Amino acid sequence: MNNFSRAGMIAMAAATFFATPVLADGSKLDEVLARGHLVLGTGSTNAPWHFKSADDKLQGFDVDMGRIVAKALFGDPDKIEYVNQSSDARIPNITTDKVDLTCQFMTVTGERAQQIAFTIPYYREGVGLMLKADGKYADYDALKAAGSSVTISVLQNVYAEAMVHAALPEANVDQYESVDMIYQALESGRSDAAATDQSSLAWYMTQNQGRYKDAGYGWNPQTYACGVKRGDQDWLNFVNTALHEAMTGVEFDFYANSYKTWFGKELTPPQIGFPVEYK
Amino acid sequence: MTELSTFLEQVWLARVVILKGLGVTVSISLLAIVAGSILGVFVGLSLVYGNKLLRFVVRAYTDFIRGTPVLVLVLASYYVLSTIGIELGPFQAGVLALAIFCSSHVGEIVRGGLQAIPQGQTEAAKAIGLTFVQTFAYVLWPQALRQFLPAWVNTAAEMVKASTLLSVIGVAELLLRTQEIISRNFMSLQFYFFAGLLYFVINYSIERFGKYVERKTAVPS
Repeated sequence: MNNFSRAGMIAMAAATFFATPVLADGSKLDEVLARGHLVLGTGSTNAPWHFKSADDKLQGFDVDMGRIVAKALFGDPDKIEYVNQSSDARIPNITTDKVDLTCQFMTVTGERAQQIAFTIPYYREGVGLMLKADGKYADYDALKAAGSSVTISVLQNVYAEAMVHAALPEANVDQYESVDMIYQALESGRSDAAATDQSSLAWYMTQNQGRYKDAGYGWNPQTYACGVKRGDQDWLNFVNTALHEAMTGVEFDFYANSYKTWFGKELTPPQIGFPVEYK
Repeated sequence: MTELSTFLEQVWLARVVILKGLGVTVSISLLAIVAGSILGVFVGLSLVYGNKLLRFVVRAYTDFIRGTPVLVLVLASYYVLSTIGIELGPFQAGVLALAIFCSSHVGEIVRGGLQAIPQGQTEAAKAIGLTFVQTFAYVLWPQALRQFLPAWVNTAAEMVKASTLLSVIGVAELLLRTQEIISRNFMSLQFYFFAGLLYFVINYSIERFGKYVERKTAVPS
């Protein structure tokens, strides 16, 4: 990680030095409008956030957030040039101007906020538990009551054990190398529940209707937001406005449709009258 | 049996994507190997026949590049070059990084091949009145070539494997394509194994090609 941030830092220092005349002309907003399309940084290997359909088209919730911004810019959600980037490249690609905007399930942290500017959040991620629909345990309370007789399958990680024990202090933890294996463990009965990001679980349950259920408990909250380069308040305001109106205003249907597609849940429209933001 | 047929069905569904990835991997590796080998021969020649200054500069270059992880070279050619106004796309930056890496290795191989030839041969060539260019072309090079072919094949195979690192800067080569497919169908073991098989096929072809050239250049007995 340090290498990347160092590279980013060097790049940023150099870019400021060389690019000053360009910045003086105005905001990224004018630059993007003049160019006629948005350059969006995102990945291609994580469903339901950013992944390829069978006919090789990029899709997912992150991609839709970029499409909301493109629609606000040009009235056309398809005016996007995608920069395919790994998770490690998210911050360097913003600081070196390879992208206008990055939406790639980026967790907001204080450390990152020192390097890039975060937009308003568009999703709150948390860890959840998935059970077999016809399994022995009904929900989270049943799992917790069963104590050390339950086994949880989880992705291999330094914090995996502590993460599961925060919700189920006595459960056995089986760690697996990839997401498909934690699902496989649940399916074959080697584990009683699979613990991973709720969005991944929601996507998997949408793909396999009726076979699994959510245990109804979430923990380990993390905020997902898009990122832009620091120091351009105009551009940040514009992206914020576009995302905000998608969650509360004219583009609500766009956001709600996307939410339904990728997470399988209907959203209730924001209450009419007194703005929801001040409640 | 059903698992195998689902897997084959998924492979068929993703055939275009897999072929595209394979195409990118092969073209990156090929460009890097060809460019790197040409540059590498010059590096090797400079190390053996260059004057003191040239030798010093080229020695610093090969030691620096060989001592740097390929991933760092890849990131440097993508990010650092753009800060001095050289804007390379991910594909170009990746080819550049791999070619530079390849050149430092080929350079060392060429140097080793040439220096392994006993000094007496150069002296003998001089004694029968050959010029330096003639000595090199008819005496030294053909022998050195036989020396370094196996090592060169090794380096070429390394380049194919190093091309997987370019997924970090978003080059849609075979590994990234495979990961894209897995993120859709969750069949990680099967598809990673399949990708491994394809990499083996590429490297095996390189090895066969190397063996073919070795046979062609072998001293007739």
